[in-house]
Amino acid sequence: MSIFEYNGSAVVAMVGKNCFAIASDRRLGVQLQTIATDFQRIFKIHDHLFIGLSGLATDVQTLYQRLVFRHKLYQLREERDMKPDTFASLVSAILYEKRFGPYLCQPVIAGLGEDNKPFICTMDSIGAKELAKDFVVSGTASESLYGACEAMYKPDMEAEELFETISQALLSSVDRDCLSGWGGHVYVVTPNEVKERILKGRMD
Amino acid sequence: MSRRYDSRTTIFSPEGRLYQVEYAMEAIGNAGSAIGILSKDGVVLIGEKKVTSKLLQTSTSTEKMYKIDDHVACAVAGIMSDANILINTARVQAQRYTFMYQEPMPVEQLVQSLCDTKQGYTQFGGLRPFGVSFLFAGWDKNYGFQLYMSDPSGNYGGWKAAAIGANNQAAQSILKQDYKDDATREEAVQLALKVLSKTMDSTSLTSEKLELAEVFLTPSGNVKYHVHSPDSLTKLLLKHGVTQPAAESS
Repeated sequence: MSIFEYNGSAVVAMVGKNCFAIASDRRLGVQLQTIATDFQRIFKIHDHLFIGLSGLATDVQTLYQRLVFRHKLYQLREERDMKPDTFASLVSAILYEKRFGPYLCQPVIAGLGEDNKPFICTMDSIGAKELAKDFVVSGTASESLYGACEAMYKPDMEAEELFETISQALLSSVDRDCLSGWGGHVYVVTPNEVKERILKGRMD
Repeated sequence: MSRRYDSRTTIFSPEGRLYQVEYAMEAIGNAGSAIGILSKDGVVLIGEKKVTSKLLQTSTSTEKMYKIDDHVACAVAGIMSDANILINTARVQAQRYTFMYQEPMPVEQLVQSLCDTKQGYTQFGGLRPFGVSFLFAGWDKNYGFQLYMSDPSGNYGGWKAAAIGANNQAAQSILKQDYKDDATREEAVQLALKVLSKTMDSTSLTSEKLELAEVFLTPSGNVKYHVHSPDSLTKLLLKHGVTQPAAESS
């Protein structure tokens, strides 16, 4: 079993009309044993920027804490929040710093940039950015997620429809992966509000 | 006579003084003043802006008040470029603590850590000390609201009310007379405005010459650092009756 599959995870983000959604599963396992069903993988950086981290759980937490460190200093010095594309470059640089002993995580970054234009991207564990206009996926369920998103996604969905689509894509994909699941955590972000919802799926 | 002991910070004079540190404090005595007052529901920081010119590009950033972390802010008096370095150091120290312990750095520890940095410049390296004094205002869950004053030697103390910069001795004596232990934040603001109006050199008090900031708890329990806008300041000056020119001498 690869080290990336040690804890199990599934993260997906989708672009809608002036909004975005980011969702993850909630399982934390140690190989085949499930040890938590409320593990947080998606973190808020600021009101219009979220990062979801899949992969080894300890690196998920440490990487997030390092990003908070950098973003807080940025906010104090520049007196404003970081733009999503800038943040993505920061994450990529931090990951590449550890090129020969990497953080075993695959981030999914989603935010509203200038003029509230949605921005999503993912990268591998050493910082290779992949920008997308529609959706990005990562985690042990990534292959199923690619298929589900490709089939269910359509551009310019409103917030409610986007929520339904991303939830269905997430739940159906984690059902095909034994290492992720135990419910879902979905954030739908529009310029004015953030809606956080918990999904109940197959609890296995 | 003691000129031979001036040029290096890292040695004592025969009388047991560190001249460079004292000269640094002289430099601060010429800078714009700042006053901090502790109240039971918050800390008030007020500063006198020395650089007021019509040509200055107004922006949202402040000249005397700086946020160090979500729960700590400071007012500065002295050489601004030195202050910028120390503020950056303090910000990084606060984040490093949060990264390690996953909780906000206690205010006194932050002050102490910064003062340790300042002290290093009085003992080794042969570099001059920083020409800045700070007033730190913050809140932590162990000791609630706190106010600390630090100087170029690296000394610091916790205060109920303190003044740094020009005319700080005059300000400190007025504060000693008029400070009340159980004052509210509003009363502290009033006292701060009154003291500053008495000790400032300029002929009239307007919102362009001042900066006012407060550190307090929101109803939801979060620490908030709020810098007053010029309009809000003008209203406060009118309300507390301090906009008239300071005709009497202090």
